[in-house]
Amino acid sequence: MRAFEFVAARDSQHAVALLAQHAPSVRVIAGGTDLLADLKFSSHVPGVVVDISRADDLRTLAITDDGLSIGTLVTHTEIMRSPIIREMFPALVDAAHTIGAVQTRNLGTLGGNLVTAVPSMDSGPTLVALDARVTVAGPAGRRQMPLAEFFVGPRKTILKPDELLVDIIIPKENLGKPTHFLKFGLRKGQALALVNVAASFWVDWDKNTFVAPRVALGAVAPKVIHALEAEKYLEGRAITPEAMAEAGRIAVGDVKPINDFRASADYRRNLVAVLTRRALEGAYALAKAKREN
Amino acid sequence: MVTVTIHVNGESRTASVAPETTLLRLLRENFNLTGAKLGCDVGDCGACTVIVDGKLVNSCLMLAGQVDGRDVLTIEGLATMSRLHPIQKAFEDKGSLQCGFCGPGVIMATKALLDQNPDPTVHEIRDALAGNLCRCTGYTKMIEAIQTIARADAGSRQATAKSA
Amino acid sequence: MDTKAVVAEKTAALLDTEELLRAPSMAPLTNFPLDVLVPEADRQTPAVGQRATRPDARLHGLGQTKYIDDFYLPGMLFAKIKRAGIGSAKIISIDTSEAEAMPGVVAVITGRDVPVNSFGPSLKDQPVLADTRVFHAGDGVAAVAAVTEQIAAEALDKIKVEYEELTPVLDPLESLKLETPGIHAPSANIYGHKVIKKGDVEKGFAESYRIFEGSFRTQMVEHVPLEPHASVATWDANGRVTIYSTLGRITLGRADVARTLGIPMSKIRIVATIVGGNFGGKNEITTEPVVALLSKKTGRPVKCTFTRSEEFISSTTRHPLIMDYKTGVTKEGRILARQIRLVLDGGAYCSWSETTLGKACILSAGPYIIDNLYAEAFVVYTNKTMTGAMRGFGAPQVCFAYESHMDDIAKALNIDPLEIRLLNALREGSLSPTGQALHSVAVRESLLQAAERFGWNNGNGKGHGAGA
Repeated sequence: MRAFEFVAARDSQHAVALLAQHAPSVRVIAGGTDLLADLKFSSHVPGVVVDISRADDLRTLAITDDGLSIGTLVTHTEIMRSPIIREMFPALVDAAHTIGAVQTRNLGTLGGNLVTAVPSMDSGPTLVALDARVTVAGPAGRRQMPLAEFFVGPRKTILKPDELLVDIIIPKENLGKPTHFLKFGLRKGQALALVNVAASFWVDWDKNTFVAPRVALGAVAPKVIHALEAEKYLEGRAITPEAMAEAGRIAVGDVKPINDFRASADYRRNLVAVLTRRALEGAYALAKAKREN
Repeated sequence: MVTVTIHVNGESRTASVAPETTLLRLLRENFNLTGAKLGCDVGDCGACTVIVDGKLVNSCLMLAGQVDGRDVLTIEGLATMSRLHPIQKAFEDKGSLQCGFCGPGVIMATKALLDQNPDPTVHEIRDALAGNLCRCTGYTKMIEAIQTIARADAGSRQATAKSA
Repeated sequence: MDTKAVVAEKTAALLDTEELLRAPSMAPLTNFPLDVLVPEADRQTPAVGQRATRPDARLHGLGQTKYIDDFYLPGMLFAKIKRAGIGSAKIISIDTSEAEAMPGVVAVITGRDVPVNSFGPSLKDQPVLADTRVFHAGDGVAAVAAVTEQIAAEALDKIKVEYEELTPVLDPLESLKLETPGIHAPSANIYGHKVIKKGDVEKGFAESYRIFEGSFRTQMVEHVPLEPHASVATWDANGRVTIYSTLGRITLGRADVARTLGIPMSKIRIVATIVGGNFGGKNEITTEPVVALLSKKTGRPVKCTFTRSEEFISSTTRHPLIMDYKTGVTKEGRILARQIRLVLDGGAYCSWSETTLGKACILSAGPYIIDNLYAEAFVVYTNKTMTGAMRGFGAPQVCFAYESHMDDIAKALNIDPLEIRLLNALREGSLSPTGQALHSVAVRESLLQAAERFGWNNGNGKGHGAGA
């Protein structure tokens, strides 16, 4: 690996100051699972790497007035073990579990996964389906935006070199919203998703209809996207297996998958239809199970 | 240069290294702990696996500065002067390793698993070893060895409980 | 969560049941002699069936096995090799001056510095470092020895190579065509050819109830040994070089180093230790002559290890095969005639292709009685990664073809896939494709035993199989 300088931030404020000081030739390291793999193959490394792994105020995980706030440094293992997340969002646990292997989950952070922004990221779809927002800190202070707008394209977010992702917030109104996540990879472990999908909706138990349905898809567009047409189709519709299957077929129209050595675009489209239906089924099963308790 | 002190296998060691030095190279080149191996250098193969502050990690994906002040356990820290660690013993008895290159990483992953979950199912064992690639053995005898330890553990825990 | 407290608590729990104690970071003394199970040596007992412990198991488990990369000699330098990165080109010029001027760089060599720049297990078509021509993207074009690996890697970027790019040939079927410009030779890229002829295939086809054709392909496969290729070279005052290496075939390696360095074999010592996986990929020299030359030039020991990328692009792989089968059968599914054409993608250099060609051709008929056989196999150059030895040497590829073909035939004739194989299986005394009388033939017995284990006759045959 080429040479660079290393500085460690004590907390988020210190991190922002360090970024401002060393921008633009600066990168942030948290778990390092993406950054170091990247730098090892690169002939251009930043002048300075800012380590935020000791900035404990970025590691919070709590219900606040805004909703569920997950700090950027929370690792995938911590998500899998968090009692709050296990109770409220098993889909986030499932998604975290599909990432890499034990070693990479212990190091890799939720923030890092989002900031690296590969279209096939596993943490993105569930959060996008839950209308998550993110907080970004920079020299001018902090600002919030929907996660879906945080992503710009493959490996690109709105972050400037002197900015830091601070936390991810699942809004209050979506706490406990039944959500299901599915990933299809060529292996069970350490695999990139060919397609991943998260489906989320409330149920109107009187009318048995979909309320605020969301379908988020990964690996089938330059970034994680909503299957907007499928969502429109589902809103207010009666919950039936046929409706779920139809939503899957409609979702295919919302995506632009690529042909590559892992799979053809056709195969991915097929996956989208099937996995969307299954994700909707999974969310419904969860909704029913919660209702019974 | 960054000055790094780690508590490795119960001993404090300090080195002054280039900032881009990974924990893997720190262990191998500065502290002569060559048990952790360089297989891919990008966290895919698991040959570099060690335990930092109780967590199983790829040492090739940590920078030396990030490990300053932390506890590190490597393969060299498992056996004592006179006794093999039960995992090492079980792997030996079952013939779980062939070329041995993946061995240190797999054994550390096994330790992390059994520390959390003393009686894992086969599925849980496979999940725990998913980050450690082996090209020689097909993993079957590793899984057998781990199950042997779990059963022996359960046996001795029962015995302890009975005698308590 | 207080990690230290949790770890301490768990350790204490283990202490009760397993008496685990933390050890100092010095390597623990190993108990010698090792307490290993050894079959009784002074009695006339058969070793087969007795339990024995692998002699290397103790050191492996302790993490004390020393592989080549765990090896450090005082004053050792680190070498890195610059890879071409393009499939086919003429090398116009190589300028190493900027790299040589870098602080920490001790020596740079190119193909010009290699006394005899060609080697190979059969055809000597492989250079140590490409000199005038690049034949695949993984070709080495220069090598640097520096005081750290990091400096050596950076120095590679400073080496300027001027290429005249040529059109690479990537499809073996293109290579097969006589009109395609020769990659190595001026014309024709076919560098190996084998024909096996038995009986009269045309007569066999004429007598067949039905004739089936099938075309099968397998892909290039990389061994991915966990341990990358590595070697360390050091010279003594009497002009003898010692090379510590991951190389498997060290006698052959010694001959290749003698040839490329232009020195007698008696001056070369190759030390191989426990290797971290070979599978055929470490059967021939890669970095050995490079480190030997750099060590000679610098007067210091030199180590070179492959990166994982180099394992994929610069070490040998398994031959992809294109296999065309034509089989004539009776109504009951008995094979009367079989005609096969194999095209082996022979990569940029011959390596072990001749052995692979031979094996693939002989084994391509499958373990079946075939009186009329014509098998023709070609190996061709392409501008891709070298294809060489990998466990099976051609057998796995043809097995995929003839077994898939057999399933297709069984399905078309509505015959049970097991039955059709039992019908055709080689027996005691059957003649192989090359006319050898076979003994200790257990094809039928193996199939029947396997079928029983899988529960084939209980309906576990339809659909997908299990492995055993």
